[in-house]
Amino acid sequence: MSPCDFNRRQFLKYTGAAGAATMAASLTMDDAAQAATVAPLPVGTPILVIVTLYGGNDGLNTVVPYLDPAYLSNRPDMSLDASEVIPISDSLALNGTMTGFGSLWTANKLAIVLGTSYPNPNLSHFSSMAIWQTGSPAGEVTSGWIGRYLDAYPRDPFRAIGIDSTLPALLAGNERVGSMVPVWGLSIPYGSLKTQLQQLGNTSKQDSALVADGAESISDLFALSSTLTPILASGPPSSDSALAQQLFTVGNMIAANVPTRVYSVSLSGFDTHADELSQQNALVGQLSDAVAGFLTQVGATPRADDVVVMVYSEFGRRVEANAGDGTDHGTSAPVFIAGNRVAGGFYGEQPSLTNLVQGDLAVVTDFRDVYASMLEDVLDTEAPKILDNWPTKLNLITPASS
Amino acid sequence: MTAASDRLELSRLVHRFGLGPKPGEYLQLLASGIPLARSRILARRSDAGLVGVDTQLYPDLGEQPSDPTANTAYWTEVYNQSQTVGTWWMDRMVAADYPFIERMTWFWHGHWSTSISKVQFARAMQVQNDTLRTHALGNFKDMSRAMVQDCALIYWLDGEENVAYSPNENLGREFMELFTLGVGNYTQNDVHQAALGFTGYQVDLNAGTVSFDASQHESKPVSVLGKRQVFDAVSLSDWIVSRPENAKFIARRLWFRFISTTIEPPASLAKVFENRDISVLINTIARNPAMRRPQYSQAKAPVEWFVSACRALRVTPSKLMAAGDLDWLMSSMGQFPFNPPSVGGWPYDEAWLTAAAIPYRMQLATALVKAGNLEPLTSVPKSKMVQAAADWLGVAQWSLRTERALNLAVSDPSQLALLALNAPEYVVNA
Repeated sequence: MSPCDFNRRQFLKYTGAAGAATMAASLTMDDAAQAATVAPLPVGTPILVIVTLYGGNDGLNTVVPYLDPAYLSNRPDMSLDASEVIPISDSLALNGTMTGFGSLWTANKLAIVLGTSYPNPNLSHFSSMAIWQTGSPAGEVTSGWIGRYLDAYPRDPFRAIGIDSTLPALLAGNERVGSMVPVWGLSIPYGSLKTQLQQLGNTSKQDSALVADGAESISDLFALSSTLTPILASGPPSSDSALAQQLFTVGNMIAANVPTRVYSVSLSGFDTHADELSQQNALVGQLSDAVAGFLTQVGATPRADDVVVMVYSEFGRRVEANAGDGTDHGTSAPVFIAGNRVAGGFYGEQPSLTNLVQGDLAVVTDFRDVYASMLEDVLDTEAPKILDNWPTKLNLITPASS
Repeated sequence: MTAASDRLELSRLVHRFGLGPKPGEYLQLLASGIPLARSRILARRSDAGLVGVDTQLYPDLGEQPSDPTANTAYWTEVYNQSQTVGTWWMDRMVAADYPFIERMTWFWHGHWSTSISKVQFARAMQVQNDTLRTHALGNFKDMSRAMVQDCALIYWLDGEENVAYSPNENLGREFMELFTLGVGNYTQNDVHQAALGFTGYQVDLNAGTVSFDASQHESKPVSVLGKRQVFDAVSLSDWIVSRPENAKFIARRLWFRFISTTIEPPASLAKVFENRDISVLINTIARNPAMRRPQYSQAKAPVEWFVSACRALRVTPSKLMAAGDLDWLMSSMGQFPFNPPSVGGWPYDEAWLTAAAIPYRMQLATALVKAGNLEPLTSVPKSKMVQAAADWLGVAQWSLRTERALNLAVSDPSQLALLALNAPEYVVNA
């Protein structure tokens, strides 16, 4: 048990009352709704950690068809040869910087969903990322898929937490939004200023929707801070990569039983139109190190079997390199799912590098099959309700052993 | 008694088309009536506020030296400039008596979103900033011509790597998707062909200049949006900007950032932009009846919040704290000038209204209140201080919730100011 374990005692401290009976009478509806949610998450409850790679990660230099002559001929100066990869089948290999993922693969804890995208892939960063984050290729939906999951529950600033300053689209529902927390935690003022700032978080009938959101962010700050401040007091090692810092923060919250079912973290810089090789090698190496380190961190807690990590990007990249030794926007790419309860292995199949669809890789797997698995088998939620009646899912999560 | 809708409209005019009122300005403008106030806010005049403000570009640092010690010093200077350049611009935003042109330049910076994180050289960003300011209220065709020949933009979108024998699509795609037409108004083939039209431009990053290398330029005709000819960047920009989709797209982009991210503009708005006259378009937007309707609220982006607070408190950003500290605090809120997260620009509205941003906003507000001039509060009796805060900051109306909280702080004007700057009605432009 770590000293910052969050437990019932903290719950009472948060509500600031000496006895539960006297307290209940003084709670407003809002307080009661919030306080009720600040119970620790029971061990055995699954947790989803979503890693978004912004910019369009090059799938072919991540899960590498390193023996395919078409791979080598299309990328004369930016292909990885056998000495620069970690073979994981007779045709595919992980980028050699991804030793952490290699170990997860060997341990059968890494699922690689090949050729993932959606029908008629969009080559715009922003349109395609919007499609992934809303979970809707039709483009009519503006709410995020995790936001819609939140919409089904009473307001609870703990249920989904992103590690950043601004809210990503995937956490914005129609009614509810996820909370954002910086890696350094949340501080609140002391004394009279604390009381007065807290008052600014009350709702008012005069508020427009956005002013109400502004007030809500203040009340969320207070609700989150009392629980999270002691847990996040030490902060991540400053030598870690940005993603490792975010995941370290998530790991601390998970270890302390913070009642959060979904975490969102991200890594940027994947838009490698030029001089790709060194940049992308470094980025997927950071990804692999950060995820493996995080799973080791939570692996040392009773929650080792609870955590599932999902890694995706808005698209892969063109098969053929350009003159700047980079690649332009492409279509399908692998999605990674990692964790103790993940049934490791390949799902779908590697798209052909020669039978292209409009010059790009074919789509083998629809990303909604992956999302449906995450919703049903990690978040205990009926996927069709969140994903506009999407009917199918992958079976890549094994039931809890207990 | 002024009508509540006048207070609301003026609050929107001073915050969205200006960068927040200087002390006393909101009440003066209110007394003059909305039509005169609007003309004053949208006016372009020689600006006495800018006297003494450093608007000079940083010197060209030249090519990096080969000597290791000199090379280290060179890159240290590049880094230092990348931290101070955001404040260099914000000093100007804060000082201006007629901030409309800075506000428009700020909009265009988010539109032609280019980041120093890749460009590295502050001078190249300043050159782009001057270009955007020159055309901020001019003709979009001229602006677009200048931008396709802008050093920072070309480098940011790999135009440097875009050569005839192997085109790089980055600039061609984002030019049509994000800068001129909007997604869906071109095909993948148009992207490829446009990339060919943009080939051959080389940059001198430290100087912020561009040169044309005809040997790397596609000399054969290419086909873009149904027109086949030999294009260069200027003729290609002219052709794309002449498309009717451009008028609709740019009109919507301005509406989105000045009026509403959720309610569409009237269909007629694109018509006033037929001649690509930005001034006509923005003046039309500023006169739309939506300006008086409550549902058109918008959250202030962190830079807009910070600059408006500096203007109210008479604080010069570069004198508030070390440049690196200001960069860090504002970046922790998610925004610092010249460093947008991607070519898509910054997020908007509820994305800014997070618990994560508040501790950093409080920290900045604390520094501002300590350094700033609180006379608008200290010069009035306690019983009038809460209303004086609204008038000073250009807030249309405090809610009862905020009024109650502020009333608890009337014995301490610093604390009242700190709370007012963090009130939902100030963080969001109701």
